[in-house]
Amino acid sequence: MTVDRLIDILATINPGFFVIAAALLAAVAKDVVLRAIALIGGPAIALVVLLYPPVAGIEVSKQTFLGYSLAFYRPDSLSLIFGFGFVLAAALGGIYSLHRRDRMQDAAGLVYAGSAMGAVFAGDMISLVVFAELATITSAVLVFATRTAPAYRAGLRYLAIQMIAGLMLTAGVAMYGVAQGTFLLAELGGLWNGVLVGIFDLSQPGALLILGGIGVKAAFPLVHNWLTDAYPNTTETGGVVMSPYTTTLAVYVLARGFAGLEWLVWIGAIMTVYPVFFAVMENDLKKVLAYSTNNQIGFMVCAVGIGTPLALNGAAAHAVAHMIFKGLLFMAMGAVQMRLGTTKATDLGGLHRTMPYTTIACLIGAASISALPFFAGYSSKAMIMTAAEGGPGLFVIWLMLLFASAGVLEHSGIKIPFFAFFSHDSGKRPQEAPFNMLLAMGLSAVICMSIGMSPHWFYQLMPFRDQALEYLALDLFSPSHIVQQLELLCFAVLAFMVLKWLKLYPAERPGVILDAEWLWRKALPSLGRSLARPASAPGRAISALSNSTVARVVALARNVFATGGVVSRKVPLAATAVWTLAILGLVVAVSLFS
Amino acid sequence: MIEKKPKGEPQGPPKLGDPGEHPLSVLLFSWMRSTLFFRILMALLAALGVFLIAYEIVFLYRGHSGIENLPGFFGVFGFIAFGLAVLSGWPLGKLMRRPEDYYDTTSGEAGDDR
Repeated sequence: MTVDRLIDILATINPGFFVIAAALLAAVAKDVVLRAIALIGGPAIALVVLLYPPVAGIEVSKQTFLGYSLAFYRPDSLSLIFGFGFVLAAALGGIYSLHRRDRMQDAAGLVYAGSAMGAVFAGDMISLVVFAELATITSAVLVFATRTAPAYRAGLRYLAIQMIAGLMLTAGVAMYGVAQGTFLLAELGGLWNGVLVGIFDLSQPGALLILGGIGVKAAFPLVHNWLTDAYPNTTETGGVVMSPYTTTLAVYVLARGFAGLEWLVWIGAIMTVYPVFFAVMENDLKKVLAYSTNNQIGFMVCAVGIGTPLALNGAAAHAVAHMIFKGLLFMAMGAVQMRLGTTKATDLGGLHRTMPYTTIACLIGAASISALPFFAGYSSKAMIMTAAEGGPGLFVIWLMLLFASAGVLEHSGIKIPFFAFFSHDSGKRPQEAPFNMLLAMGLSAVICMSIGMSPHWFYQLMPFRDQALEYLALDLFSPSHIVQQLELLCFAVLAFMVLKWLKLYPAERPGVILDAEWLWRKALPSLGRSLARPASAPGRAISALSNSTVARVVALARNVFATGGVVSRKVPLAATAVWTLAILGLVVAVSLFS
Repeated sequence: MIEKKPKGEPQGPPKLGDPGEHPLSVLLFSWMRSTLFFRILMALLAALGVFLIAYEIVFLYRGHSGIENLPGFFGVFGFIAFGLAVLSGWPLGKLMRRPEDYYDTTSGEAGDDR
């Protein structure tokens, strides 16, 4: 069999399966070489398959299930860019995790990545939901893997919320598919500018349920706290592995199913703004990154809502770039967590003295997420900003996105590196991160800079390739774009320095910040207890009555049967004989007269 | 790994070139520890900001209508937006910050019902 023939065969298989198969090896591998083969080899094979995709838009490996057609593999330009991002994130996460000998996390991380990958390449809704839910379950394992009581509780909350979202999604898919008579994505909607997007019809109740389920997974406002609750409770590697997939997969489904839906423009814009305020107050830097994720996903959701080819290119580009630079920031915080056991700003500061490589990596991640020209975030977010700026009736939305851009600089561009690695000297002198962590951070930093400085290769992967390349040629590096972005960032940093100088920048303080989760973590349990109080009085009375009755019966039985009780008491032999005769006589009498 | 200081040594932040400090860190970041660094950087940023606005006026401004096309709009917006986001942390923090174990209690007052 030639290599070409082998690749031809592999190219008919959904790339997610290779990563899931690697998880089987990771689950049993103890040796570091075997672990490396599983953690890096699985994504590497998937990457090779992605480089040789079958004809775009053609369903491969079709099956029939309960009379419905399923397509396990349907690559097109939208799924390829997301799949490419997932492969990169999986490989980088694998390298980053090599020092940690935890087979459960290795296997769960690979199944999680493979499932997310499988979902974006699924050609039908049933396969998509199965893959998405497999991703949910395995991601919960990454929270439990911290093996602490708070992480356990956070994992249960995460699982509960994700299961509710999964049920909504499953019910919605079932209703929608049955109503339409097909579950195949290609048969649910037509191509738009050559790409299958915006396929769901919201007049169908099933579509609303799908939107609700995906909204929870994308961390829409008020249902976003699973993100800020679970991510900070992961291990130093868990956060890195967990950060890229669930929310990005949700963005993919939104783009595929609901592109151009006006609600999403507002939902996304609100998502970009409110996490800024929470991130300012938050002391735990991993939680700041979780709020930052919420904010960045908002940009993508807003772009999906705008729905033009430029906006959808921006959503896809930012989704992939975000996976890399947010992963890089989580890696830097993971290194700090590993060395010091905390990521709380109040306990950190001055770590650049002994962790210079991690500091540099964090600074590159911070520059990327802040959309500094020639870094990844600039190349990806620029398309979203241009689409919003040029869209009719979107001026307020554009202003909200611009405010959020300044906010991103505050919480992820300045706060994360400043409070962890600079600021006041905490006196802590941790060792630099292990080599594998530094390698993963270095590769992520190189990708961030490559996307920023030479984005041609990246723009070629966009779902609407021609529009992307046109934007690259005419707009991306135009003087006005670069000057405006530099101006925004320059004056925002200046504001930071002025506020520090005037001692108006709020000092970091320990504590938890109340958020929407207060409703179900505090208010609902309190309400439940209040409502249960009137019912508890009769309950207590019934309980006391039954307890006393049982106690009396037990006491009576003890009097009769216990040692020294009535039946075990020593009695004269004659009395026994009399009693025996009496009982015998009674039995005879009963048998005679019955 | 936290290194404990031997007793008798003066407390306070370690000085430049402490034992254990990475040479790359000294090379790349030690200049930032100068007391003048903060002021110099602020002055440089202000100068860069003025240069960018001047560049916008001279080379990019074409008299288009709309507030977003005014020279310096992005700078002023960035300054105000950043300031607003940060300053909101004072009142919001007072309003919404609770003790670390807030959610681990049933009464809402941390430590009351442990």
